[in-house]
Amino acid sequence: MKKVLLLTILSFSFCSAQNYYFYVAAESDDTVSLIKFDGNQAEELERIPVGMMKTEIEGPHGLTVDPTGEYWYLSLAHGNPYGSLLKYSTKTNKLVDKTLLGLFPASMQISELTGLLYCVNFNLHGEMKPSSVSVVDPESMTEIKKIQTGIMPHGSRLSPSGRHQYSVAMMSGELFEIDALTLEVNRVLSLDKKKMNHQGMMHHSIIKPTWVMPHPNGKKLYIAGNGSNEIIEVDINYWSITNRIDTGKGPYNVDVSPNGKYLIATLKGEGKTAIWELGKKRKSLISNTSSVSHGVVISPDSKYAFVSVEGKGGEPGLVDVIDIKKSKIVSSVNIGKQAGGIAFWKLEQ
Amino acid sequence: MKKLLFILFALASFNLNSQELIVISNLEGLNMKVGETFAPTSYAETLNGEKTLCQAVIYYNKKGVFSTAKAITVNRSEGTIRANEPGTHEIVALCIGQEGQRLSRTFPVQVDYPKAKEINIKLSSLVVYESSFIPLEFEIVDEMGFSRKNEFLQLSSNSNNIEIDAFNNVKAVSPGKAVLEASFDGISSSVEIDVLSNPIEKLELKASLDVARTGDVVKYDALAYDNQGNKLVGLPFTYTFYGKAIDKSDNASGLIMNDGRFVAEVIGDYMITVSLGTKSTSRPLKVVGRGIEREVVKVGQGIVSDKHTSDFWVFEGVDGRDYAVTGTWGADGTSFFWDVTDPGNIKKIDSVKVDARTVNDVKVSKDGRISVISREGASDRKNGIIILDVTNPFDVKILSEYTKNLTGGVHNVFIDNNHVYALSGSQRYYVINIEDPKNPVEVGMFEIGKEGQSIHDVWIEDGIAYSSNWRDGVYLVDVGNGIAGGSPSNPVAFANYDYASGAHHATFPFKSKSTGKFYTVLGDEIFPDGVDENNPNITAGFLHFVDFSDLDNPVEVAKYELPGQGSHNYWIEDDILYVAMYGGGVRIVDISGELLGDLYRQGREIGYIMTGSPNGYIPNATMSWGAQLYKGYVFYSDWNTGLGSSKVSELKPDNSKANQYINRTPIID
Repeated sequence: MKKVLLLTILSFSFCSAQNYYFYVAAESDDTVSLIKFDGNQAEELERIPVGMMKTEIEGPHGLTVDPTGEYWYLSLAHGNPYGSLLKYSTKTNKLVDKTLLGLFPASMQISELTGLLYCVNFNLHGEMKPSSVSVVDPESMTEIKKIQTGIMPHGSRLSPSGRHQYSVAMMSGELFEIDALTLEVNRVLSLDKKKMNHQGMMHHSIIKPTWVMPHPNGKKLYIAGNGSNEIIEVDINYWSITNRIDTGKGPYNVDVSPNGKYLIATLKGEGKTAIWELGKKRKSLISNTSSVSHGVVISPDSKYAFVSVEGKGGEPGLVDVIDIKKSKIVSSVNIGKQAGGIAFWKLEQ
Repeated sequence: MKKLLFILFALASFNLNSQELIVISNLEGLNMKVGETFAPTSYAETLNGEKTLCQAVIYYNKKGVFSTAKAITVNRSEGTIRANEPGTHEIVALCIGQEGQRLSRTFPVQVDYPKAKEINIKLSSLVVYESSFIPLEFEIVDEMGFSRKNEFLQLSSNSNNIEIDAFNNVKAVSPGKAVLEASFDGISSSVEIDVLSNPIEKLELKASLDVARTGDVVKYDALAYDNQGNKLVGLPFTYTFYGKAIDKSDNASGLIMNDGRFVAEVIGDYMITVSLGTKSTSRPLKVVGRGIEREVVKVGQGIVSDKHTSDFWVFEGVDGRDYAVTGTWGADGTSFFWDVTDPGNIKKIDSVKVDARTVNDVKVSKDGRISVISREGASDRKNGIIILDVTNPFDVKILSEYTKNLTGGVHNVFIDNNHVYALSGSQRYYVINIEDPKNPVEVGMFEIGKEGQSIHDVWIEDGIAYSSNWRDGVYLVDVGNGIAGGSPSNPVAFANYDYASGAHHATFPFKSKSTGKFYTVLGDEIFPDGVDENNPNITAGFLHFVDFSDLDNPVEVAKYELPGQGSHNYWIEDDILYVAMYGGGVRIVDISGELLGDLYRQGREIGYIMTGSPNGYIPNATMSWGAQLYKGYVFYSDWNTGLGSSKVSELKPDNSKANQYINRTPIID
């Protein structure tokens, strides 16, 4: 009995000593918040002002932390007219360097293979023409190539090996695979069931894909069909659609737990988060604490999902912490307005 | 055995995290010629000289991919680099290790100038007189047509009537013909210089004023005669000045131009000299204070204490009373309406809340019936503009929302003749007809059509749209004036001026009442240290006064720069400038007369208003956003405070509470 009690105490101590740290951008406040979640409570440790122009909203949008955890990177959507990529130290949360990218740079990730950062130029408000993926050397902060992809590319994610970068083009309804080494487009997959491409007219996707996330086993991709209210499963080897999963209104961002068991999507149009246990059909729906659910990132131990929720108008943005197994919000914390990009930094014992 | 092999493999594997590796490349010490291509090869090596192959090597120009970085380009499919322009460029070799770690090294690549083909020597004065320095310019053009002006040439001359110093300054010492030879890169060129004897026997200096105020432009005219008493014309005179300030701690500073115009910044005694070679004459100038300071009294405030305030507009309503609208910044999409009929008793009378975080700009039509507010940060990301019925400002009604082509956020708008000019995503502006305000219709669009085009503001006056385009400067666009055949549906640009900082964010056209000259006043917007939301910020930049009297040859003639504070929005009326200088408050500046040089240093400031309030959103933190003169009152908005009004009185400033050491400028009687 004593042994059981000791084990219980030990395991409780072990669990409660887990601290999760992540960054969240507030797109309409030009701030980034550093959040700590101790297993019970999420707390905003620091709110970092970002941007150069006080009188402009510059729109911090995408966030990522480099594989070493030493730096975090932020895309500023608006500029004159180009947006930019900013590099911050995780030690000080101070700006280290910056570089210009394309129009409305958004989501990004760094390849563990090449060490390069791949950021989509969403060009959300521009002309309906193909945009690009910017490849940046984060060491010198030089944009080394713009790789043309589709119209409104979004959701830049790397394969587990770091060899391939995936993004989806929201308005042309395509999935792009880029070779992270050769910096060329490898493969393109049209996601729409029926192409509405009349001769001489621009194809506007019904699917409106907004995110793509590779499974940790490197075999499948999960794509948020924001316009078709579904998650599209793509087999990477066969480069074909293998499943379409109904979601709810407006799936926007997607993550797959590192243990490969859970698929989680934010449902922007409903203000909810959906969780699927992969291989099982049932989904859990969780109402977020505010409206306009945006980003999601899952902790490395696959226990928690951290969901950014934009809110509307003067409402604060916020982050909901969801216990994945329980499908339940266990903590929420307010941040700046229009919470969006979210990136996990570290897990500390 | 397997274990041993594994250990050996692990030891030999490419661990780029090691500090002992370096990229070795044939790029090292590379010299190229323009037009050449080169195939780089690289690998990693330990300090012990052990070579390790890279899984891949990615080469790139360290300047990036924009068009400004085309001096040396990388062709990845062919694995080559190409030299396009002479100079020293940097190529980065990024080695991806077998296990994925990265290692990079930057290699300077020297691209040689092609062989020099010719040296052009330009003598910028038609005549050269003895005892004067010869104004020469050199240009080297090479075999591929590249030209450069900053090379140090070898100058020589066999003529003994010119002297060449160690810095290549050439002085004409005595009359006669001289030949100057310039050599570079094995070629040479020469120019014959005819040094004339100084013809001046008598030299007089006329002046438009002998006693002037600081900031007054005094015109000097040199009259020269030969020994026959004949008047000499077209001589290349040099004008200089020295002086002594009344205040011993100050310097008698000013600006003198080659055409003989002089403006003093500081009270004191000056001496203006005109010279040609050894012939010179001087004329004293007494400079007194401008004496235009006035008491500026705060009259009323409309505090917004729970959010930041952005732009504002004061207007006469259809009922004849006076009203204002203010936007809000980084908040909840609210605009406030105010009754300002009594500027000492500003009353908040209504508000409109739309789906936005920032309503950056607000404007009202001349007839006081329609207001247009801009949207940024809408939750549906459609942004655009909202058109309001303000015929009853106590009960403002939304007439329509217009988002077509404006989803990127509208930062500034203007209303002119039933058209709204709305910026789109900081790239261009659209012209929207609002004759039927419930059904606005896009009729035109203007963009400058350059790579990276960017716009910050548009302002319309007399059918001309002044488009403020950051590094591309101001564009004057005919949208109905007729000067270039333009209209709202067919905007036609007809003039442009840009300047080095590239920080051009706003324009106000200014026809000087006192001189008749036409200026565009171009404002910078600069935050040198970025932004701190919760504390006062460092701002920079100033107003550029550009004489646009000749549309084809605009000339920047003056500036207004407040030390330590940057410029934002401003208003000009009756030769007086009202400018919001962020933390420096609203500055009221006399811009009458000819404008030349540094207007702030010339003591042209009439007064100022510190616009912060203890009841503000950030208390006592002045952050002036804009100013507007309306029916004799200076209205302003402050980012941290809201709306306010002030009055410039006829009285001199009250010095009764001033520090005893204050030194008001003496005024001429």
